[in-house]
Amino acid sequence: MLLAAVAVPVLAGLWLVAAGRGLSRRAALDAALLVALASAGLLAAAMWFGDSFDRAWISAIGIRLSLGIDGISAPLLVLTTVIGLLVVVLARSHTPAGGAPATYLGAVLIATGGALATFAARDAVVFFIAFELVLIPVWLLIHRFGDPHDENARRDAGLRFVLFTVSGSVLMLVGILALVSAAGTSSLDELVAAGATLPLGTQTLVAVLLVAGLAVKVPVFPLHTWLPAAHTTAPTGGSVILAAILLKMGTYGLVRLPVASVPDGFGRIAPVLAVLAAIGIVWGGLVCLVEVEAKRLIAYSSVAHMGFVTLALASGTEVGVQAALIGNIAHGVVSALLFVVIGGLKERWGAVRFDRPLPALREHAPRLGFVLILGLAAALGLPGLAAFWGEFMAIYAAWTSPLGPGLLLKVCAALAALGAVLAAAYALRVARLLWVGETDEPAIPTAADGSREGVQTETLGSERLVLTVLVLAVVAIGIAPHLVWSVTAEDVRVVMTR
Amino acid sequence: MRVTIDWLALTPVLAPALGALLVLLVDAILPRARTVHVGVALVALGAGVAAAAPGAWSRETVWTLCTEAPDGACLYGAGPMSAVLQIAALLAAAIVVLMLLGDRWGDSGPRDSLVGGPAVAAALVLAATAGAAGVVAAQDFGTWLVTLELATLPMIALVALSAGRRSIHGSLTLLVTSVLSFALLALGVALWVVASGASTFASAGVRDAWASDHHRLVLVTAVLVILAGLGFKLSLVPFHAWTPVTYASAATPVTLALATISKIAGLGALIVVVRAFSSVTQDRGLSAVVVALGGLALVSMLVGNLVALRQTDPVRLLAWSAIGQAGWVVLPLAALDARGADAAAGYLVAYVIATAVAFVVVHRVHGPDAAGAPARSRQLLHTGGLARNHLWLGGLLILALVSLAGLPPGIIGLVAKIVALQPVVAAGLWPFAVVAVVGAVLGVAVYLRWIAIVLGPGRSTQPLQRLVGSTAGLVLTGAALVVTSVLPALVFR
Repeated sequence: MLLAAVAVPVLAGLWLVAAGRGLSRRAALDAALLVALASAGLLAAAMWFGDSFDRAWISAIGIRLSLGIDGISAPLLVLTTVIGLLVVVLARSHTPAGGAPATYLGAVLIATGGALATFAARDAVVFFIAFELVLIPVWLLIHRFGDPHDENARRDAGLRFVLFTVSGSVLMLVGILALVSAAGTSSLDELVAAGATLPLGTQTLVAVLLVAGLAVKVPVFPLHTWLPAAHTTAPTGGSVILAAILLKMGTYGLVRLPVASVPDGFGRIAPVLAVLAAIGIVWGGLVCLVEVEAKRLIAYSSVAHMGFVTLALASGTEVGVQAALIGNIAHGVVSALLFVVIGGLKERWGAVRFDRPLPALREHAPRLGFVLILGLAAALGLPGLAAFWGEFMAIYAAWTSPLGPGLLLKVCAALAALGAVLAAAYALRVARLLWVGETDEPAIPTAADGSREGVQTETLGSERLVLTVLVLAVVAIGIAPHLVWSVTAEDVRVVMTR
Repeated sequence: MRVTIDWLALTPVLAPALGALLVLLVDAILPRARTVHVGVALVALGAGVAAAAPGAWSRETVWTLCTEAPDGACLYGAGPMSAVLQIAALLAAAIVVLMLLGDRWGDSGPRDSLVGGPAVAAALVLAATAGAAGVVAAQDFGTWLVTLELATLPMIALVALSAGRRSIHGSLTLLVTSVLSFALLALGVALWVVASGASTFASAGVRDAWASDHHRLVLVTAVLVILAGLGFKLSLVPFHAWTPVTYASAATPVTLALATISKIAGLGALIVVVRAFSSVTQDRGLSAVVVALGGLALVSMLVGNLVALRQTDPVRLLAWSAIGQAGWVVLPLAALDARGADAAAGYLVAYVIATAVAFVVVHRVHGPDAAGAPARSRQLLHTGGLARNHLWLGGLLILALVSLAGLPPGIIGLVAKIVALQPVVAAGLWPFAVVAVVGAVLGVAVYLRWIAIVLGPGRSTQPLQRLVGSTAGLVLTGAALVVTSVLPALVFR
């Protein structure tokens, strides 16, 4: 069942990309929705029955095709499935131009399936292969379906995305191979015990390679430069997949590989990671104060939020890992929400830039305005909304961490708190410019014939459904974080207290 | 002295050799009977594959041509990985024969572009294949040198005959290179004989030579000289200069033969040398060989991919990418152990499958006369929109390119990269592995550029000609690519 939940979207996606050109838009949408629902159903069944899959694949290097679900991966699997489903639903009203709808949906399905495989993999090498599977479809989303106004920007952003992440993942592969050949097993479950007994030098080397490789995907400052370009040009659905799913693969990898397998080695480099995370938080916040392009701004706020997640992991404590896991989920939901809103506006207006007068969203589209305010409130870490728990606990974990020379991690925690203040400042800046608006006479770029009638600002069609689900998720996780914690707690304890 | 001979074990080598003779014999009786030639060649190659297949499944090395004890030595020994290489060479030869002879089925008029007629071309391909199948299992210097040259010399003739006047330059370049390479190989072998006092690559001789300081120096020099000689055949930088010239001037099927059969022969020969060395890997003092192997591999990887980034002719791009991929093939050998040798062979087979698909698609798009007719030059842009207009051609080309880049869904290429890096990492050669990361990223940039063109809107692709043989070749290679992507264990044994 679990294998089918992963394989169905990948195979159906490949079929849609390869042979779906002849399908009508309607048929492609229905087929993709059906596949996404089937995958969600299979995954739910696999979780319910505790299904797993394991068989020999390439015996020459001892790789087993091994899939399973545990507390650490379960929330991310649910997040991936839901986000994949929402992106497919969103395509019903917002199909990006640039190619056949079937190709777009196929790429979305492959990316979702690849992410599911990444989270479900129980073998380090299979994890790497699944990690790479997401690359080409997301490149396709950026390269083909991105911003229709600027072909060069699309090509550049797509290439930059692929080259950055490939260099990260091949570096990670070297780390994985080093770990596997030193520990003598590639099973993630056995590595938890086998990796911890390795000599400190080996552990440190492996941890450096793994962290350096995964840091590109997270992304950790200063390896984040691919992210704003990719987000700015990607279509709305692509941005949602990037922010809500792809970045999580990086942090999940950090939890699974260096934190769980080579704890002593990771402990040695954790202070460096913590410092970079703190710089990322402050840097992202500062850029957000001056950035004029809305999607770039959200991208930089992603860098800041993922900084909190990284800081939590770098604390090396059980609370830290818990904070990172809920921070992951929260950022996935909140950034998806913001990208749907901003991406939707960009598709309608052509561009959302803060250096020119913008219409007041509260007037022209009150519903969309409300969702925007909620998303911004969540992004600034307001208690009662999703992102609060991850950020609050990350600062706490860093403050109480036993690691690091002297007060280094306390300083990082303080910087992170400063970053939270910056988040409030930029969230209010966006709210003032976009929600309150600057002009009564909105300078909305109009339809080609100059009439403003064609431009509909308020939410429409399936977008409304998508936003409703996301808003509910933001509030639910904010009010009842135990939804996530109760699932993760047990396995985090197993990993962290060997 | 009596020599025991196991004919069945020798069939992978003897079948194509006999096939070559038979083709020429048939040609003397029935001139220019294309169909018969193709049939004879395919039957001979099929017999070779059938004889090699059991060896690929079993885990044991088949020895034959053994002299009597007490100082008995075997001249021919094929392990499972050698058998896999033999099968790859034989199947590649089948594709080449289909493309060279099958595209003009039933048409033997004056328009034939093959100088010397189809029989000569088929016989040359078969002879080169016999050489390649032989060298991967050669155990003594005589067999090794003769079969290696048998794999090379027919290629020079093929290049010269295949595409008329334009290919003369390419074949001359290849000829000069091959002569130089042979001189180096002969010198290297002579040094080896001086050092070890043996006439085979047996590890006993290597161990004896290793014991004495003086002999050790000579032996290391021998390996380095042999490596330079084989560097020409594998097109490693700085021995690569002939590759783009010859690839671009020959007819595409012949280029395919150069990229597959010749590469298998070159790597098979190198693996024999490295295996002989693996008995002394624990020793210090091997660093010169390790650095030479790793250095050649990494420089080829970087230079090949960097230059490939600027190419506009698909065949030239594939030529430079062959140089880059040769680096990946040789890299695991730097670990100097049996696993590294297996990894190199596995990587080469994965590369051969993917590059064969790419060449067949290029040939299919540009037609058989492309190399001979300067009026219509080959451009990457001609494959623009291929994924939309010709789904199978475009789809298979993209799958081949992502395999070469080492990205899913080309699982076979990705697994090959994992397998190639593993011995290097396990041997603790960190710097090599980290530089290889840069090579991998450059490679992705090279192939992604082409993939974007294939997926893109593209110019109007010319209507495809009817090429029976190439279509059959495409079906075969495409099936091999898809099957091995699902079951990589077929290649990595």
